[in-house]
Amino acid sequence: MSDQYLKDVLTSQNLAEDSDQLKALRDHRADVEAILRKKFEESSPTIRYGGSVAKGTLILESYDLDIICYFKHEDTSAGETLKDIYYNTKAALQNDYLVEEKPSALRLKSRDVNEWGTDFHIDVVPGRYTDDEESDTFLYQSSGEKCRLKTNLETHIAHVKDSGVIDAIRLMKLWRVRNGLVAIVKNFALELLTIKLLEGKKGSALTDQMKYVWTELRDNHASLSIEDPANPEGNDLAELLSDAVRQSLSSVASSTLALIEKSGWESVFGSIESEEDADRKSQSLRQAAAAVVTPSKPWAIE
Amino acid sequence: MVDPWYDRDPTLFEIQKREVQSEYPNLHFYREHDLIFVRGSFPLIDAGRVLDRFSIEIELPRNRQEDIPIIRETGGRIPRISDNHINVNNQAGDICLFVPEERWRIFPVGSSLLKFLNGPVKNYFLGYALKELGDPWPFGERLHGKAGIFEYYGELLGTSDEQVIRKYIQCLSKKTFKRHWPCPCGSGKKIRNCHVAEIQELREKVPWSYALKSLEHLRC
Repeated sequence: MSDQYLKDVLTSQNLAEDSDQLKALRDHRADVEAILRKKFEESSPTIRYGGSVAKGTLILESYDLDIICYFKHEDTSAGETLKDIYYNTKAALQNDYLVEEKPSALRLKSRDVNEWGTDFHIDVVPGRYTDDEESDTFLYQSSGEKCRLKTNLETHIAHVKDSGVIDAIRLMKLWRVRNGLVAIVKNFALELLTIKLLEGKKGSALTDQMKYVWTELRDNHASLSIEDPANPEGNDLAELLSDAVRQSLSSVASSTLALIEKSGWESVFGSIESEEDADRKSQSLRQAAAAVVTPSKPWAIE
Repeated sequence: MVDPWYDRDPTLFEIQKREVQSEYPNLHFYREHDLIFVRGSFPLIDAGRVLDRFSIEIELPRNRQEDIPIIRETGGRIPRISDNHINVNNQAGDICLFVPEERWRIFPVGSSLLKFLNGPVKNYFLGYALKELGDPWPFGERLHGKAGIFEYYGELLGTSDEQVIRKYIQCLSKKTFKRHWPCPCGSGKKIRNCHVAEIQELREKVPWSYALKSLEHLRC
């Protein structure tokens, strides 16, 4: 029963192939690719999907599209250093987008005056292949001890895709969003943790998997560790699981488990929200507004 | 610097936290240095049904519990423009839920954080969800900046005369007032012979410090 509920939660988090959101993402991807190809005409970088779209872990409530833009090993036309590549890519995009710097990626937002700062849910990840095999990649890293990160997109995708616990990963992503953990823990770290913790539990029921992960986060948060499958020795992910992150994960996991105990699974992920058409949704919202006892008018500082 | 109020009065803080989490289990309290942020998914619920959800962050006031918390939408769904009632002067995306002077009616001093969520926060997100679908803001919206302040005081005083409004705000912005002062309505009479009852009532609603801030705002 509870497993079916969790499956239904996941179904409600699918992004339909013909959805407006997916169409908008594809349109932006086409735009971004055109901009980058034009700007770096000489380089012909590899541009493709990474992130949750490639891994199959996308959730409707917080979907991001990673567009990787990797330059050839010996190509310097996009920049001598990784830092140059990062900032040249940023410069190429900022006529059309508001570009926010993330540690290794560039977040694209709207610079249209009517929708200033609207998040397009797109991260562009510039990098350079480490060799001619075009498999391992170096990324610029603007924070942390090292200024570059060695990674491998294929390894990351395979690590998640072949994990056998995609459903649990998607639910953990939803849990992260619903419980305000977005600013605290990265999806990447949570994905790796979930896969590691569920290594011997792939055949378990989804409810058991989730409870197990949360129990581990609650009780053993101090000893949990993760490593980058693309560079286990080289990339230190300790920063992603700092004491503060561990404490927050433990505290939220603890209250989640208590909620399940007290009020069942629906108290964690809510009732399944069927997608309403716009008219019905407006009607429901208007009804809710009509019931407001103390209305308030929003203002704006100028 | 004085300790944050939640350290000075941990019992009150725990009560407020428990109250919020019993109604909104997805909202969690995160401490960062000496600031506390409430983050998570805020559901718009009607008759037990979730109509929509917004990712939010509330920054609790640090010094005084009775100050107005700061609220932000963190999911990137709401464009950060004045027309969405977002303060464009800072990068954080603070939402202007109401003209601060109007708090006596919407979120009176002494109200709990839960009341904040169920009142102006819910109103704002309900309004935005409707706006997204093409409706106007269901409870109306204030004009931006100074015009919104004049609009508010104008409604409160029943006049659109900016000179009169200014005089009233000046009167309200004093810690105490003297009954022999000229009445701000412009009648030429002393307050005690004119609008004394109204002014006393107004002073109970609009704290002098808020009126002083309005005055400073109008001078900018």
